[in-house]
Amino acid sequence: MSEWLNRKSRLTGLAPRASAAAVALLCTCLPALAHVSDRGFVLLLPTGHYLAGGAIAVAASFAVFALMPANATGALAHRRLVLARRMPRGRTATSLLAFLALAVLVLAGWLGSRDPLSNPLPLVVWTLTWVGLTLVQGIVGNLWWWIDPWYGPWRLLRRLAGDREGRAMLRLPARIGYWPALALFFGFAWFELIDPAPDDPARLATVAAVYYAANLGATLVFGHDEWSRRGECLSAFFRLISRYAPIGVEGEGREARTVLRFPGAGIEAERPLPPSGALFLLLTLASVSFDGLSRTFFWLGANGINPLEFPGRTAMMATNTFGLVVAFAVLSAAYLLAVVAGQSLTRSAVTLRRAGGLFVWSIVPIALAYHFSHYLTVLLVNGQYALVALSDPFSAGWNLFGTAGMQVVTGVTLGAEATWVVWNLQAGAIIGGHVLAVLAAHRIATRLHTQPAQAAMSELPLTILMVAYTVFGLWLLSTPTGA
Amino acid sequence: MTEGRASDRLSKTSVSRRTVLMGAGAAAAGLAVGPGFVRYSQAQSSAPIKIGFQAHKTGIGASYGRWYERTTNAAVKLINDAGGINGRPVEIVIEDDGTDPNRGAEVVAKFANQHKCDVVYGTLFSHVVIGSAPMAGELKIPYYVVSEGHHVASTKLNRYVFQPGITDVKSQIQAMAPWIAANAGKKVTQIFPDFAFGYDHRDYLPPALKAQGADVVAQIAIPPTESSFTRYFPQIPADTDVIYHVMVGPAVLTFVKELGEFYGSSRPQLFGFIDSLEAVDINSPGLEFLDGSHFWEGSPRYAQANDSDAQKAYRAAVGIDDSGAAVGDPKDVSTAAHMFGCWETLYVIKKAMEDAGYKGPEDRGKLVEATEALTEFAEGPEHPQGPKTFNGKIHQCFGVQNISKVEGGRLNVVHKTSIEDGVYEPEGDYTAMPL
Repeated sequence: MSEWLNRKSRLTGLAPRASAAAVALLCTCLPALAHVSDRGFVLLLPTGHYLAGGAIAVAASFAVFALMPANATGALAHRRLVLARRMPRGRTATSLLAFLALAVLVLAGWLGSRDPLSNPLPLVVWTLTWVGLTLVQGIVGNLWWWIDPWYGPWRLLRRLAGDREGRAMLRLPARIGYWPALALFFGFAWFELIDPAPDDPARLATVAAVYYAANLGATLVFGHDEWSRRGECLSAFFRLISRYAPIGVEGEGREARTVLRFPGAGIEAERPLPPSGALFLLLTLASVSFDGLSRTFFWLGANGINPLEFPGRTAMMATNTFGLVVAFAVLSAAYLLAVVAGQSLTRSAVTLRRAGGLFVWSIVPIALAYHFSHYLTVLLVNGQYALVALSDPFSAGWNLFGTAGMQVVTGVTLGAEATWVVWNLQAGAIIGGHVLAVLAAHRIATRLHTQPAQAAMSELPLTILMVAYTVFGLWLLSTPTGA
Repeated sequence: MTEGRASDRLSKTSVSRRTVLMGAGAAAAGLAVGPGFVRYSQAQSSAPIKIGFQAHKTGIGASYGRWYERTTNAAVKLINDAGGINGRPVEIVIEDDGTDPNRGAEVVAKFANQHKCDVVYGTLFSHVVIGSAPMAGELKIPYYVVSEGHHVASTKLNRYVFQPGITDVKSQIQAMAPWIAANAGKKVTQIFPDFAFGYDHRDYLPPALKAQGADVVAQIAIPPTESSFTRYFPQIPADTDVIYHVMVGPAVLTFVKELGEFYGSSRPQLFGFIDSLEAVDINSPGLEFLDGSHFWEGSPRYAQANDSDAQKAYRAAVGIDDSGAAVGDPKDVSTAAHMFGCWETLYVIKKAMEDAGYKGPEDRGKLVEATEALTEFAEGPEHPQGPKTFNGKIHQCFGVQNISKVEGGRLNVVHKTSIEDGVYEPEGDYTAMPL
């Protein structure tokens, strides 16, 4: 019917009454029953103070780090506790197990429950992997290295072909950089945020199977190491953010060590990312931020959508595709501008390519913090659904892990008290993440510039961007939402 | 019954696409060869009745969808325990519509063509109902909604769409007028969101009040994107006896808080629809101002002293405690005012299928006529909310409404309307349309 098609005209004409005919039609189609939701409780909190306090805290952290002697942070950044020597073993086996698990999940997607909260596939892909594993990668260490489902099958197939070394058939040219990963991640983000039904189990199973097969093919052609670093977007993303984690493997071959280090210390030794790699990281942050933005009254109102009567994802596909691209472009432009400004302020001889490729590592803690805050309630509730669904992947009455009868407690995120706790965790993460980002930028600046004053000047514009992003992130989590 | 398992227990026998496809395959094979057809015919007598549940599992309706699903599962379990429908077990086939009208239509087609469901059921959000109804009409599959919108009764949809388990908003609003005029006051100011949901209240209340000798003295429409309301309150006439408010969305709590700050301890009477605070704890901070005010409730959220045995059994089966929250999860407040409609609709489907002697999709026309022939539903285990009448010409039921007072941190029912309070003249006749 034309009811929701007419929304734009109704919204823009809120003051003047609609025509009698339009009213007659509208009155047949009511209750939107827009839910108060937990954002209603957030609206009662003094969120403005958090926005101001967050901005001040992030700005102040810049001053503190700039005034600290460089060797103070440097000493901490280089401390290591060796947990294990040599490269860990058993990766092929764990990867093959992960592949088997994925195969079962894809089958469950096709054959199991049609309910996205009872079928384990959407819950494992979106909640446990995209939301949960990202946090594990950044906060703990590179778990993906073990459970990457391409590695084991790739090793196996290459061995069957008589190649024990796992050589690539073709070399992935260096000039291609991270563009394949960036393109694939755009597709991934589009599917998650804009496709009408990314949670539909059978639809997701088909997409996952095609994605897996295509990337296995590419892995066989270009080699696992190169394709997982710059091609397959989840591997590329998980690998990049694991550089920030406190547990990591450093060195190669016999020199390899599994170490415990301060969060962010892993990026000390990282080389600059190529422009495509920097853009790839920026796209990951932009996509999650846009997911937040696209639900706000601000975005919906600006696009002529009544937020209390959200017309559904199918009505927003063109608008949100445009929005995702613009969000990426705006964030990238702002980042580039900040780096260029820093270079100009210091009249630095460091190339823009090097500065931009290094400073982008400081985006990682922001991406992690926003990821945590944005998805926290999803993780808390859908994580429980996942535990239930995994015990009975085909809805056949099984209870594999004893969790099939578990009560899903949605109340953990509901009501005023829970909202207060969740909001403070979110705000704490956003502010903390940005402070860590300022610290990371400071460490990178001291790497690029020997003079402390020059280092501080070079990171100043980026710090201003980070202060702005702190406010933006907190605003996204506190402004009314309708989708 | 736990959340995830509740759906799985039903879906394990029903939702498995493999089972559905195997069934379809068997049917096709049966049509091709005589003996196979006989075998399938025999099997069909005990084959399940498949009810396609168009569920808001994701999207803005998800919090309502969760409770619609729990209620559905509880009712189907009882129906099956009691022998199913026409001796056949009921299977619920869930498809998520994403609370999206376009997907809603796709889901209806999927139920009819892919899952071979007998009927489609369970939709709440009006735009999804309106988006899906043409597909149901085109595929000639009966479509039983639980939406409370006036769209079904307006007779602007089609002959295959029914709303037999919950009254529509026009009836609800009209039924409030006698009590408001007699108990709250004669001069009413309405505050409503400036879109379709609010327009129903804007348009249906004034004539209903007029008939009771009361008047709407002001109508204040609030833009949907508004999140602060204080600047609208000076528009409330000083001689207002009752503020009739139906705000919805995340800013409702802010609305109540600011209204409280505006009036302080001396305020007019307040009358609202619980839709504003459905699934929200009435004792939440910011809502203190509502103490002593009144709300419409379809079915009471809180257990009442005079609850019938049927009401008690219904609440226990669905799994809500005396405060209307999930047993074992007291922060998860139910959508009690609406979800009973799922329970009652399923029993209407059962009754109509039994009356029609329904055997399979070829009897869908008979099922439509049998549903249209229903006239009343007695209060009892199948209709725990209360007695209802059904007008087959407009495919809409009419029932009693509850008016509850916020006192002592709960909602106490202070008045039940009669069915007649909410009855209005039919606006058309679906039975005149061809099947």
